[in-house]
Parts: sequence; structure tokens; C-alpha cells
Amino acid sequence: MQYIKVLLTGFLCLHFFSVLSQEPSPRAIITGHVKQPSGQPVPFATVKVQNSTAGALSDIKGVYTLPALPAGEYTITVTALGFETQEKKIRLQGGANTTLHFQLAPAARDIDEVMVIGRTATQEVNRQSYNVTAIDATKLYNSTLDLSHALDRVSGVRVRENGGLGSRINFSLNGFTGRQVRFFIDGIPMDNFGSSFQLNNIPINLAERVEVYKGVVPVWLGSDALGGAVNIVTGQQLRTYLDVSYSYGSFNTHRSAINAGYTAKSGFTLQLNAFQNYSDNNYPVYVDVADINTGAYYPSQKVRRFHDTYHNETVIANVGVVNKKYADKLLLGITLGQNHADVQTGARMVSVFGKFYTRGNIVMPSLKYAKNNLFVKGLNLRVSGNYNLGEEQNVDTVYRRYNWFQQYKTYNGLGGERERTLYKYRNNNGLLTSTLDYKLNDHHSFMLNHVFNTFDRKGADELYPQSAKYEQPQKLTKNILGLGYKFDYNNRWSTSLFGKYFMQGTKYSQSYNPSGNWGDIAYRHQQNKFSKTGYGISSSYFITPRLQFKGSYERSFRLPDTYELFGDLLNLEGNIQLRPEKSDNYNVGASYSFRLQGDHRFSLDGNFIYRNTADFIRASLNQNQTKQVMENRDRVTNTGFDGEIRYSYKKLLTAGVNATYQNIRNKTRFEPGSSEHSILYNDRIPNMPFLYGNGDASLFLPGVFGKGNTLSLGYNVLFVHAYYLYWPSLGNDKLDIPQQLTHDVNATYAMAEGRYNIALECKNLADARLYDNFSLQKPGRAFYVKLRYFFKK
Amino acid sequence: MKNVTRLLLPVLCMGTLWTACSKDEGQPGNGGEGGGQGKTKYIIASTPVASTGVADYLLTTDNITQGAISTQGNGKEQDGTYRYYITHRNRFFSLLYGQGNPGAVTTYNLNAGGELIKVSDFQSETVQVHTTMNDDIVTMKVPRSGNENALVFRIDAQKSQIAGEAQVNIVHLAGNGERAHFTWATQAGNKLFAPYMSIKGAAPDVFGTSFPDSCWVAVFSYPDLKLERVIRDNRTSYLGAYFTSGLVQTESGDLYGFSGSSATSNGTPTSTKPSAVVRIKKDATEFDKNYLFNLETASGGHRFANQTYFGNGKFLLEMYAEKGKTSGKVKFAVVDVTAQTFAWVTGTPADITSTSRLCNLVAGDDKTIYAGLTDAGGSYVYSFDATTAKATRGLKVEGGKITGIAKLTY
Repeated sequence: MQYIKVLLTGFLCLHFFSVLSQEPSPRAIITGHVKQPSGQPVPFATVKVQNSTAGALSDIKGVYTLPALPAGEYTITVTALGFETQEKKIRLQGGANTTLHFQLAPAARDIDEVMVIGRTATQEVNRQSYNVTAIDATKLYNSTLDLSHALDRVSGVRVRENGGLGSRINFSLNGFTGRQVRFFIDGIPMDNFGSSFQLNNIPINLAERVEVYKGVVPVWLGSDALGGAVNIVTGQQLRTYLDVSYSYGSFNTHRSAINAGYTAKSGFTLQLNAFQNYSDNNYPVYVDVADINTGAYYPSQKVRRFHDTYHNETVIANVGVVNKKYADKLLLGITLGQNHADVQTGARMVSVFGKFYTRGNIVMPSLKYAKNNLFVKGLNLRVSGNYNLGEEQNVDTVYRRYNWFQQYKTYNGLGGERERTLYKYRNNNGLLTSTLDYKLNDHHSFMLNHVFNTFDRKGADELYPQSAKYEQPQKLTKNILGLGYKFDYNNRWSTSLFGKYFMQGTKYSQSYNPSGNWGDIAYRHQQNKFSKTGYGISSSYFITPRLQFKGSYERSFRLPDTYELFGDLLNLEGNIQLRPEKSDNYNVGASYSFRLQGDHRFSLDGNFIYRNTADFIRASLNQNQTKQVMENRDRVTNTGFDGEIRYSYKKLLTAGVNATYQNIRNKTRFEPGSSEHSILYNDRIPNMPFLYGNGDASLFLPGVFGKGNTLSLGYNVLFVHAYYLYWPSLGNDKLDIPQQLTHDVNATYAMAEGRYNIALECKNLADARLYDNFSLQKPGRAFYVKLRYFFKK
Repeated sequence: MKNVTRLLLPVLCMGTLWTACSKDEGQPGNGGEGGGQGKTKYIIASTPVASTGVADYLLTTDNITQGAISTQGNGKEQDGTYRYYITHRNRFFSLLYGQGNPGAVTTYNLNAGGELIKVSDFQSETVQVHTTMNDDIVTMKVPRSGNENALVFRIDAQKSQIAGEAQVNIVHLAGNGERAHFTWATQAGNKLFAPYMSIKGAAPDVFGTSFPDSCWVAVFSYPDLKLERVIRDNRTSYLGAYFTSGLVQTESGDLYGFSGSSATSNGTPTSTKPSAVVRIKKDATEFDKNYLFNLETASGGHRFANQTYFGNGKFLLEMYAEKGKTSGKVKFAVVDVTAQTFAWVTGTPADITSTSRLCNLVAGDDKTIYAGLTDAGGSYVYSFDATTAKATRGLKVEGGKITGIAKLTY
């Protein structure tokens, strides 16, 4: 993500040159085109005749025409945003028009002055007035990262994992966790996608970029996000392309992905994304192994995980038309997927299982429609909908007790390892989002966004058919209406104002037995409704083109969602008493870029955040230690800072570090039921990373073993300061999550301008023992190789 | 949802129910790692008042009758709350209620300097019933639905490891279409007496029963844990309660059983029998039909919640503060089960929010029990006097609520 920031903020001079020469000799015209090595035109390149005021700009097709010049020798210089400058000498015969073509090599360039006319989409996102970081996913296509690991490199973000590939993750952004941060794919909420299509299994190749909005969420991402949002933008700007990759690595890990698109001249378009992950996750761990009979521990044994296989397979297909009179885009799609995850441990490593697993699938039809300039110029409409018919199931039917030596005892009768279950449920989750935006003129634009969400969980357990009739209806509908206004005073100052209205209705029924007779049943119906109004403002000012200040504020709400209200039946208990949580989120940030001695480029980015959250809904292990339960905390504040420094040298080297500090404090003075001043007032919220950072460096060696080939070497380091599992101020003999320091290295060899790629990676080079969560050990050193083919037209 | 209900129930029950975890049995044990200089330390378990990120802390102190102690920067942090404590053979065991998951049990004793130190960890199944029997600690894992078998474990207190286990089919044991759910277990001679409640064990009324007016005690041989007989009675509802001991052997060898008349159906009390004390005479195989001490009559309409034995026939009872209720806040009383006398305790806070009922400390002088009481004003150790029925406020524990008090020697 940051690479781009460095690589330039580009500015192109718009110089209009006129012919001043008045000499009478016969003149000639020089014309030609300016192209990239790939053959694509370079528009708006400045073509200048040295030692003269004559010049021209290339047009949209890259074609330029210089004004007529007298005969003589000239040096023509071509400069363009993002390309190396090129010079060519030419002898012009009197009266003979001449053709001169240029092919410009891409480069990191930034020109000091004036107007901005070209930037990548990722840079555009980063320039918004929001506190936003965009990752350019295309730069990571040769890595084996999934989305969660790519996000883990963003300042303010910490992704905690329970184990290896496919394990449950906990995403935190400036201290907000779980559902306080909302996820979107192309602006569509991912709330209802189930376990088969999640951050921990989506390969990076599916995305073109990933945008992380911290604290203040733009209105077009319609959701009740309390602390920010992540929007995954899939790459669909290419009309016809094919991207195929396969990787293999430690712990019998196989991953593959196919992304393909085709668009015919008629406007017919077809998009296909398919991916697969498989891993035995049988990495070695150090654990106290209990004797299967006596329970006595054999301390610190090195054993392999033996029941942790994860696999998932997902296909997303879209078919439709583009660029029609009635629709700029109309796509019908379906997402099909499934996953299977063996459950190796409970919430602590000493709880070990050998047969228990979970599985799920996704069957989600979808519709996307977009029409620009609807009725009037500048009015754009986008509508999308989907409905997930997928199911999730926990399978625990083997009455055994395992230990880490894979020994087990089988008991008589019917039981399970944890709790005998074949419970299967379907969330029947539907979503419809509509966005209408209108650009009145260069200064004023408006946006209206509506999201409708419906949820109706139905479940049954074939092992307990007699309990089926006691299943409790759990229905939820949610409407979110957002209205935004953006004022662009000029290209230096821009301000957005927005309001969001949230409305949620929950229906919940408790079954009971009215007569006391066996099997008699009746329901007590409960309903609760939330409606809240949130609002915010964001503003950005460029003091100079290289120095930007940003500020934003949002009063945000998050309504307790279905998982929190009703539980997920595996790791989360329901809590129907939850209240919406609210937060005042403030961001102030600045970014500055400069260069030293021409080729040493630096960029600095810093953000100060303040969050004041009331009724904070926070996961805690339930008091039985094995499931989590969400609770309203009275008040929590977070005062934090994150910063990033990036450096690049020519096209050869890029490096950067970022760091995040967050001071998340309990501000509850009196606990319920107590008139005593809480001794935990102002204590740091436990079990939450508070200081962490990333560093990276990449070296690019072009032309290795032939022209058009590039060898790149990369290094990443992740640091997380140790933190306490429980309240920091209590006790003197404490449990903690130790410091994490991991080094990853990789080498990528790209051939034929990136058509064929081979990458080698080593993760956790130092084989450090890593824990994101108390006692749950993550994989040690691992090696991966990835092969990738990429083609576009 | 069914699963959630199943899981929430124990939590709800736990809020209202509790037994004695530490008895000064006059048995010297091993004298601690220090070799036994005859010195004493008190162990106090405290849970912070916060509703999240909560661990139990173990504090060590010389005096529990005065002063103050805090968990701030002090105490051994344990992994998670819902730890249960039992002291046996001068060792302090911290057991985890693991909700179906196995978990680590930590054993502590005192070193020569009087510091609480970890002796060992061992793995055990989730703990509900936990009691002492000879040199062992006996624990039971009783499934409330699905699985028809309870597991009973014998843990060797000296070795801190499991010495044996047995399976008991609780549906067969109940024999009435419901499930026998052991409330607790008590050593009587060389037998293990385990009172149980009958529960439906099916959603949505897992803990409800169609048999609210009977009580049962299963008798097991030891150490092979074979079911020998079931002793029944129809004059009271079941003895004890979920996580609550309701059967105690006195010095005479007689067993006294306590019923709270707390059987429910759909969460509503349905027993027609009074909250009362019943008796099984020493070595008898049935209840003593001539003995019934009606606690509701004696108390003016209140029902039994929990008991701790002073000795010499006297018990400290927690009674539900509201007449006729089988849940909610409690107040204390002293009863003599042989003389059948009842006296309300004076000197306790008016509005107690929690007590250390699963781990009160019995001093062993037949007249003193230490219990932790918490109200809005804080958490204190109270000493209860059996002769005067008075409670005296002692040590304050800051920042948390007392969940257990124990005593070790070194």
C-alpha cells in the first residue's frame, strides 16, 4: 500500500507553448506517439523542444504534434507522470514533416508543481479526507498472503489468529474488534457470508485493493460500523484477463486461485473467481501433555497438531452486460463455497480434540446494477442484492477424550468430546444496498445510501429431534439510511458532511412449557427495536501539494448483531440484553513527502486518534472459559497514535516502518451493584495489543537473466509488544501474551513483464514461538512456493 | 439456541447457588513443603468487580479478622474465573469449571517462608461436584442433556493426579424417564453418598422436573464407585441443589440432609413439600421417618439455600431472604439439627450481593466459620459465631468479591 505513496504523488505541468519564432524559412512538423512498453498510449505527456519554447501535449491516444519548426537539429524531451524522461535528437529538413515515436519506461516521478491529473486508484483513496489506508493488492499478487495477513501490515490494524490456515481470526482496528469493524466487498456488506468466504480464506489475488477506514466511515459504505470499515475492491477494470496461481508449502498447504474475466465487444461480460485452500496445519507446538489416564502433565513436549485440517473451496461467477443504454453494468452472480475445519483445541491449548469439526457452505445468488447519468447528467445509481442460503454445522459425536500424544479413551454410550451435537443452522440472510449519487457541479455533490438487511436463523439437531419444536425464532431486520454531501472548494480543500439513520428490529421468542406436561410448548414473544442517528464530518486541506492535513469526526453507532444477540452456537454465547454501542471518533492526520538529493524519496504519515466509546460491546471469555460472550461496558476511551515512514531509492529499493500505539482505558467508575470507586478505573483494557508495528524492505533487480524479467527480494518484520491477559493493575504473578517478533522473507522472479511469476517465501524465519491469544501457539518457520500466470488484453 | 440455553443455565444457577471447601479437619497433612512448623496462612480467592477480563486472584494473609488487603499489584493470577477451590491434606486445589472442555487443575501449598507456591498442574475434566473422600478428592462431571453418563473421578490429593474413574448411567439411575443430576457428594464411613435431583434434561426446560416432591441419595462403594443402592424419601424435594451440598455427616455418624424445596418446572417452583432437614441414621439404609426439621416453620416461611457445618450438630445456613422464594438474595441463620433450634444471624450486611458459599472456612472449633460477604459497599470476611449467632466484620478485600477462604499450615 505504502509503496505507492512513495512512488509518487504525481503532478504534471500543463504548459501550453506557443510558436514565437517568426523566421521565414520553410518549416516542418514533428508528430508521433508516446507509448508504454506494453503498447498502451501515454496521454498528456509533455513533449518539449529543448532550447525553445515549442512544445505539445500528447492526446488521449498518446499522439502529439509539435508546431512547425524551421530546419535544424533539435533535442526533443518527453516527460510524463510516472514515467522516465526521454530525450531524442532529430535533424529536421526544411519543409519535410517527420515522425518520431517515444516509448517511455515507467518510473517513480514526482514533479513539484501544480495540477494533478493522474494517480492510481489506491493513491486517490489515500488522498481522501478520511483516515484511510489503501493497500495496493496487485503488488502482493505473487505472495501467498490471504487478506487477513495483508491487512495485518496496516498501521492501526492487528489481526489475531488462533492457529494456522483457516483458523478463526480476530480483527482489531484502533482497539475496535469483532463486529465493531465492518467488512465490505465492492461496497457490499460481508456480514452474511458465513465461514466459507471470509478474510482468513480469501486470497489476496481476488482483490485489486483493500481500503481501511479508521473511525470515520464514508456514507457509501452503508453500515453501523462503530470503529471503522474495510472495503475489499475486486479487480474488474480489466476487460479480458486471466490470473492463475498455485502455491504449495509447509504443513501440506495447497492454495490455488483463478481469476478470469472476459468482455465481448457487444458488452457481454463474464467474470470468474475461484479459489481453494488446503492445509493439514500439522505444525509442531510446545505444550504440556496430559497423561490420558492420570491427567499428570508431561511438561513442554514438542508435538504436532494432529486434528487441524482445514480446507475450503469457493467459486464466484458473474455474468451480464456492460456499457448498455439501460445499464452501465448489470451482473447476475452466484457465490458457491464450502469449508471444513477440524477443531484441534478449545479456548486453551490443554483442551485437545481429535474428532470434533465444523463445516459450512455458502450458496449466495447476487445481483449488481449500475447506471450512470440516470435521467440527468451526474446522477448515478448502483443497486446490489444478495441472499445467503448457506448452512453451518458443528459435528461432535465421538465420545472420546484425546491427549496431545493422540492417545484417547473411548467411553461407553453416546457422547461427544465437548458436547454431543450435530446442530445445523442457516441464517437466511438477505441484503439489498442502493446508492444514488449526484454531482451538481465541480463544487457540490450529494449521496444517498440505503442498506436493508434481513436475518432469520433456523436450526435443528438431528440427534435431538424432540428439541426441534423448542427452536426459538430469531428474526432481525435492519435498515440503514445514509445521506452525504461533499463540498469541494477547490482542489486543495474538500469537506464532507454526512448523517446516518439506523433502525433495527429483532424478534425473539422464548419457548416454555405452559402446563408442565411433558412436551407441551408455548412461546413468549419478545421484540426489541433500536433506532439511532449518527453523523460526521471530514475535511482535508493541502497546504502544498506535498503536505496534506486531514481531520474527521463521527458519532457512530453499532447495533448488536445477530451473532451477539443470539450467539453462533460454537464460540459465542447469545446475549439478548445488549444495547447499541456508541462512540465519538476523532481523527487528525498529516502526510508529507519530500526528496533528498533527487533520488532519495521519503514520505511521512501520522495520525492521532481519539475514541470515546460508551456501552462498549466487548468479547470476554464467558466465565466457563470456553465460549465468548458479548457485554456492554460502560465507557472506554482510546487515545492513539500511528505513524509511518517510507523511503525509496529510484526503482531499486523501497522500505518503510509503521507503528501503532493505542492507550485503551477503562473509564467505568462504578461497576453495577457496587458503590465503591472501581479499582479498575483508568486501567488499561486487558488482552488487547497496545503497541505494535511493521517494517518492510524490497529490492528490485530488473533485467536479471534477460530483459523484461525482474527479481525482487522482500523482507517483512512484525512486532507486537507483550500484553496482559487480565487487568494489568491486578495481581503480582500474572499471565501474559508474550512479545511477538516475526521475520518473513521472500524472493519473486517475474518473467516476460510479469506474465510468468515464481515466488519463494519463508514465514517466521527465526522460528519464533508466537501467540496472538493466550496459550494458542501459531505456526513456526514455514516455506512456500507460488507459481502464477497472468495475462491481460 | 438450545445449546446456548444449556450453557447459560449453569451460569444462571451458579449466581444463586453454592458449600464448604475448606475444613480444618485436624488432620496435619504433610505440613507443607516447609516441613510443618505449625504456622498458618489464610488464602483468599477474589474476583475483580469488572464484568470482563476477569481472573480469580489468590491472596495470602496472616489475619482475616481485621485490616484490608487488595488485589492491586498483589496476588497470584489464575487463568479465568469459575474456579472452584478445595483444600485437602494441606493442599489447596484450584479446579476449573470447563464446560465440557478438559482443563488444568492447579495444586498449591505453602513453602517454608509461608508463600503460596504451585506444587503441580494436572488435567481434569470439567468439575461440578467436588468433595473429599479419604485421601482423595472426588469430582463428578454430570451432563445435563444428551450424554446419559456421568463421569466420577478419584483424584489422589498427594500425587495430584487421577487415580481412577467410573461411569454412571444417570438415566438408568433415575429410572423415571428423567435424569439423575448429582447435586453433591459426601463421605459417610467408607461409602460415597451422592444426593441427586431429577431433571428433564431436554430443551427448553433442562432443569425442570415432573417429580418435585421426592428426594434421592445414591450410595456408592469406594474406591470402585459401584452403585449400591438409592435411598429415597417423599417428605421433601431433592437435597442440596446444583453446585450445592445438601448432605453432611455429623460426629455421631448420622447424616443430615437439607432440602430447599426448590424443584421447578419451567422455572417455577413446583414442590408441595416444605424446605426441611431430614436424617439418615448411621449405617441405616433409609431415611429416619421420625425426624423432620421444617425450616420454613422455624424461619417464618424462608427456604434453604446453602449450609456450612460448624460441628457439634450446628450449621450455618443461607436462607433466601424473601419468604417462599428459591432464588435471590440470602440471609444467614444458625441451626442446631439435633436440638432443632433456629436463630437468625445478626451483624451481616442487609443487602448481600454474593457470598463465598462454595468455599467458606470452617475454623474447627465447632463454633466459628469464616465467610466472604459482598455488598454494594465492598467485600469483607465475616466470622460467624455458632453460640451467639452473631457475625463480626473482619478483613476487607478491596476491588473484588471474595469467592473463597482457606487455611494452610507450613
